[in-house]
Amino acid sequence: MGLLTHKRALLLCALVAGTPALARAAEWELALDLRAVSSDGRESFLDNGQGKLRFDEDHEGIQLGRLRASWNQPLGEVFSAHVEASTWDTDDKNPIDLTEAYVEYQPYPRAGTKTRVRLGAFYPPMSLENRASGWETPYTITPSAISSWIGEEIRTVGIEGQIEWLGTRSGHDFDLQLSAAVFGWNDPAGTMLGAHGFTFHDRQTTLFGRVGAPQSFADFAKKELFHEIDNRPGFYVGAQARYLDRAALSFLHYDNRADPTVELHSIRDFAWFTKFDAAALRVESGSGWTAIIQALDGVTYIAPGGFWLDWRFDSQSAMLARRAGAHMVAARYDRFAVRFQRDPAAAGSEDGHAWAFAYSYDRGEHWRFALEWLRVTSDVPARVALLGEPALAIESKLEFSARYLLTGRY
Amino acid sequence: MHAAACASLISSSAAAVGAGSLTASVRQRDDKPLVGAVITLEPQSPALPAAPPMTAIMDQVNLAFVPDVLVIPVHSSVQFPNSDAISHQVYSFSSARKFQLPLYRGKAYPPVVFDHPGVVTLGCNIHDNMLAYIVVTAAPFFGRTDARGEWLAPSLPSGQYRLRVWHPLLNEPQEIERVVHAGAEREIVELRLTHALRPAALSGRPHSWDY
Repeated sequence: MGLLTHKRALLLCALVAGTPALARAAEWELALDLRAVSSDGRESFLDNGQGKLRFDEDHEGIQLGRLRASWNQPLGEVFSAHVEASTWDTDDKNPIDLTEAYVEYQPYPRAGTKTRVRLGAFYPPMSLENRASGWETPYTITPSAISSWIGEEIRTVGIEGQIEWLGTRSGHDFDLQLSAAVFGWNDPAGTMLGAHGFTFHDRQTTLFGRVGAPQSFADFAKKELFHEIDNRPGFYVGAQARYLDRAALSFLHYDNRADPTVELHSIRDFAWFTKFDAAALRVESGSGWTAIIQALDGVTYIAPGGFWLDWRFDSQSAMLARRAGAHMVAARYDRFAVRFQRDPAAAGSEDGHAWAFAYSYDRGEHWRFALEWLRVTSDVPARVALLGEPALAIESKLEFSARYLLTGRY
Repeated sequence: MHAAACASLISSSAAAVGAGSLTASVRQRDDKPLVGAVITLEPQSPALPAAPPMTAIMDQVNLAFVPDVLVIPVHSSVQFPNSDAISHQVYSFSSARKFQLPLYRGKAYPPVVFDHPGVVTLGCNIHDNMLAYIVVTAAPFFGRTDARGEWLAPSLPSGQYRLRVWHPLLNEPQEIERVVHAGAEREIVELRLTHALRPAALSGRPHSWDY
């Protein structure tokens, strides 16, 4: 309760920091993304199930993809505030909630280096896939297993510093960026992997919201991700190298340093001690090709009564996309696995892979249309005991997205 | 020696004209013309002053600098009018001219004066992929190659000149420079790159995507 108040206070503090002089124009975006879905997915992880998709066979037809509002407010010359608010569905805790909110300090580059400091709640700099506004992927409707998990469980609520050597501004072919952050309020990160493993969806957990339906009777199926439980800050360090504007290579080491013996009764969850390494490579060609390779490898622990339980997780993803004018096609393959060391047949152990194929078309500055076919094959032994279902599931989905975007300045 | 390694020089005599004229023709390794290369001609004897200062414009249009390369005589001033509806924060940390210039909507900003020769790399603190160059030169004669990769320097006083070639995508191991002679005849200087250009910036990628 008090901790929640602190998180709100940090965000509020971040948003009123800086000077109020309005020298630069503020910018806003408003986007409505509607979907038409045909799915044979098992009962979704959002509804207590062990299905891998956001829209299962009971959520076909017209669905809300996302209603998003973003606001970028300059505060003087080198400070700015960024707020991302979204509605994903009618089941969340709040009708509209934040996915990111932070203040950024970005002074002019000096002596070939650029520094940047962010304070508030934001994504760590690790997805080379989710590069569009609102932390969306422009290539497909559904991001990779890795990005889906980051959007579901990971957020930096704290402070991050970046320093970038701008080699391409001083006659070289490379830029190099180093990042480091200290954060709190991400102690439950890992709980979703323990509950249902990796999933495939574009729904980002909101800062004050939850994953799972409110009417859920199974507590494990509804989780709030952004709480401080043990009062121990976590950290990450990252590096990104870029070759001209053609290739980017990034690494991130994340450690929330949670004390897995501590439980927060108000959300019925432990501090999940989660560490992972993530690497990604993105290469773009002058003829419109983009290739993205991602890998994630980590472990999460809880220790109820001092009895340590560990889940090891990893995922790899490879995507190839081709853009021609306003049209783009993309194909992606994902592989994912979670191993619950103590009991491979219990919840949280799984093996699987997925294919996605997507076509998208940007019509002018307002409309984007996308069509995606996604098939996830997963072997989850716990389906047998928990749900009386076969362990192996092959779920597929055909999804059409129509998004209308409005932008403005004042 | 190094110039010979970078480029081949062919001088040919044509019909004599009143004053000397010189055409520089620059080709890439694959024989395509090198368009937009900056050519400067500095006299070695007799000495000549730099070209008179001018006022030039480096605009911001649709999140890009226009032109991408600007050549100006030393002591010239450059205006940054910002034709975009959004704000920019132009900067340079190049040794030839360091400056920071916020360009906010509805405000006029004084021009920036460039008093030292050299290449000034421009960026925008808000839009990381904006990039342009201002080449400040003390040479009395300069220009950029056209679509055929050629630049004509008319009415040159007779004498020896140092010809230099610069382009943002050059990948040559050494600076391209040649000593050329302008007399009463028309000189054609042909230069060919020995290395392929570096890749040009990607075009058509939405501005809202992360760089």
